[in-house]
Amino acid sequence: MSEKLIKAIAEMDDEQAITLTKELLSQGSDPMEILGDCRSAMEIVGKRFEEGEYFISELILAGETLTAISGLVKPLLKTSQAEKKGGKVIIGTVKGDIHDIAKDIVTFMLDVNGFEVKDLGVDVAPEIFVETIKTDQPEIVALSGFLTLAHTSMKETVDAIKTAGLREKVKIMIGGGTIDAQVCNFAKADGWGTDAMTAVSLAKQWTGAN
Amino acid sequence: MSQTFIDPDAGKSTEQLFAERSKRIMDAFQMKQPDRIPIMLGLGYLLADMGGVTRQELYENPAKSLEIQKKIALDFQPDTLFGLFSYPGASIALGDQMTKWPGHGLGPNGSFQFAEQEFMKPEDYDAFLDDTADWAIRTYLPRAFSTLKGFSALPPFQMLAFGHYYLTNLPAFAAPPIVEGLKAISKGIQATLEVNAGVMETIKAMAEIGFPFPAILTGALVEAPFDFMSDTLRGMRGIMVDIHRRPEKLLAAQEKVLRFELEFAVNLSKATGSPYAFLPLHRGSDGFMSLPQFEKFYWPQLKSLMVQLVDNGITPWCFYEGVWDQRLEYLAELPKGKTGGLFQSSDIFKVGEVLGDTMFIMGGMPNSLLQGGTVEQVRERTKQVCEKLGKGGGFVMTTGVLELEGSDPKLIKAWVDATKEFGVY
Ligand code: B12
Repeated sequence: MSEKLIKAIAEMDDEQAITLTKELLSQGSDPMEILGDCRSAMEIVGKRFEEGEYFISELILAGETLTAISGLVKPLLKTSQAEKKGGKVIIGTVKGDIHDIAKDIVTFMLDVNGFEVKDLGVDVAPEIFVETIKTDQPEIVALSGFLTLAHTSMKETVDAIKTAGLREKVKIMIGGGTIDAQVCNFAKADGWGTDAMTAVSLAKQWTGAN
Repeated sequence: MSQTFIDPDAGKSTEQLFAERSKRIMDAFQMKQPDRIPIMLGLGYLLADMGGVTRQELYENPAKSLEIQKKIALDFQPDTLFGLFSYPGASIALGDQMTKWPGHGLGPNGSFQFAEQEFMKPEDYDAFLDDTADWAIRTYLPRAFSTLKGFSALPPFQMLAFGHYYLTNLPAFAAPPIVEGLKAISKGIQATLEVNAGVMETIKAMAEIGFPFPAILTGALVEAPFDFMSDTLRGMRGIMVDIHRRPEKLLAAQEKVLRFELEFAVNLSKATGSPYAFLPLHRGSDGFMSLPQFEKFYWPQLKSLMVQLVDNGITPWCFYEGVWDQRLEYLAELPKGKTGGLFQSSDIFKVGEVLGDTMFIMGGMPNSLLQGGTVEQVRERTKQVCEKLGKGGGFVMTTGVLELEGSDPKLIKAWVDATKEFGVY
């Protein structure tokens, strides 16, 4: 574990974080450990966001830093390490909604917690989710959304999955700004959350991964 | 239950109503105390809800929109009102890549959407700072408007502009993609002129039945320099990264923006005689940035723009979108009695306390209460707002967003009536 790397990411020193990552890699550090540091850093960032110390600009910058680090680290993962043990997740922001800051954080956290995540992007139509379930056969579908209209899109997505005869094959979780138990009920999802750690614990619970 | 309410306006002539309403609103905008608190309705998609037409039809059939607006005005009897805030004609003609409209990128009943993109890349800052206009023509327009892609092939604008020798370069405009672009611009101009004519007609028709148009909507639209860079150029993601990675360039760009926005608003005000400028604010609210960031990247530039507008005899008013609760003290630095603010979701009572002497204030009724509340709740809220914000004048009752989409007509009526009942000075 590199305290320095965690600190650089958490303190918004993106240049330093990238330099450190390169250094660590050239010294032969374990790529998995670097991703673990990213996760620890994101937990700090998430906490500071909740406490009102960090704002959207910090979430976005941290997200950009993570993408850059992942780009450096991922090609170096040995196949055995890269093989995800947690299970497969497809994630996307639902139709009509383009908020993706939160979805990207959830994607990252699932990824570094050992899940194989396929990100379908934003404004994703129900058909795309259905198609991807057919081709990729994930265990879990994660839907993100912030607008009130996203509640309906979530419901439509779950319905489409059901109509396609795939509902029994996947567990579905929803999350984002105004998502709560009512919306979960309304959309007929299997679980919901308002932070990335809930997404991770639901996924672990559902797949029996730890 | 609500008691039977006798409208104090009942039985007055149209001319008298028009005169009284006009005075009531103007008094409030000038921070004087009117006879009672004026109420202003921004109808928006309520026109479709109540008129039984799609939202797409609202834009495409101005005569029908006007007819619905008249009926709504007569039903609710507010002091002032307006219909739609913006129109899709020019965006559609030019193929603008940042907006979606009912029937164009959305279903016939979709809500207008602004989908930001990073049309300006980080590496464009130098070109933007060096020569904003040339960069706009040859780089920005082709990216942001599908019909203007051809403009990227134009020579530097300077090589067309400066007189006789350079006229030989004019055939650059003969390339088919550029000809298409010029046609699209011409269509966009036509569409905008039609919208303007329709608005003028509506203003006249509404006046004839006793309802003045909100004068504050007649002026220039300008933005906080930060938002100018964010909304249509860098996008939110881009600008938030700029705060950390290229703060100096962002500040330099804002300085340029401030200068041309000011020149534009002052000239427009001179040409039209409208003493107002409207600034819809987007990224300065609580949540997007920290207070130190706000103090460096948002507030000084916005304040400077507003102060200079005031120095030029213009009354700028802002839509303070989202929540500004942590930032109200800054707003109190604005010149007293010279600006206005519409507050979406801030604590309106705190707004009244901190800013009551500084600016005229609009807001008070959460849109959600008119959508899902009860008559009792609406009356109670209206009473509280009238009592706490009405003091001394300078307050206009409105919803948090000037749009009534999805509101229950029964609750709107209860709200207008309650304002007349509790808003008497
Ligand atoms: C940033 C933002 C934007 C940015 C989005 C940038 C982007 N690329 O994402 C921009 C400026 C582009 C934007 C646009 C719009 N926005 Co907006 N936006 C916000 C804002 C300020 C923050 C949202 C956010 O990203 N928060 C940061 C995240 C990281 O925090 P978080 O939610 O705690 O994150 C956790 C959870 O969401 C959870 N989570 C997320 N997904 C999932 C999934 C699962 C399965 C689980 C378990 C958990 C989970 O995990 C995250 C990490 O811990 C909110 C207001 C607010 N303060 O919430 C409005 C808000 C969501 N926006 C709103 C609106 C209306 C719009 C627009 C329609 C405005 C317009 N008129 O054009 C457009 C939408 C266009 C569209 N089609 O989507 C409204 C929504 C109202 C409603 N209920 O419908 C809000 C609430 C603002 C408001 N009060 O009016 N917006």
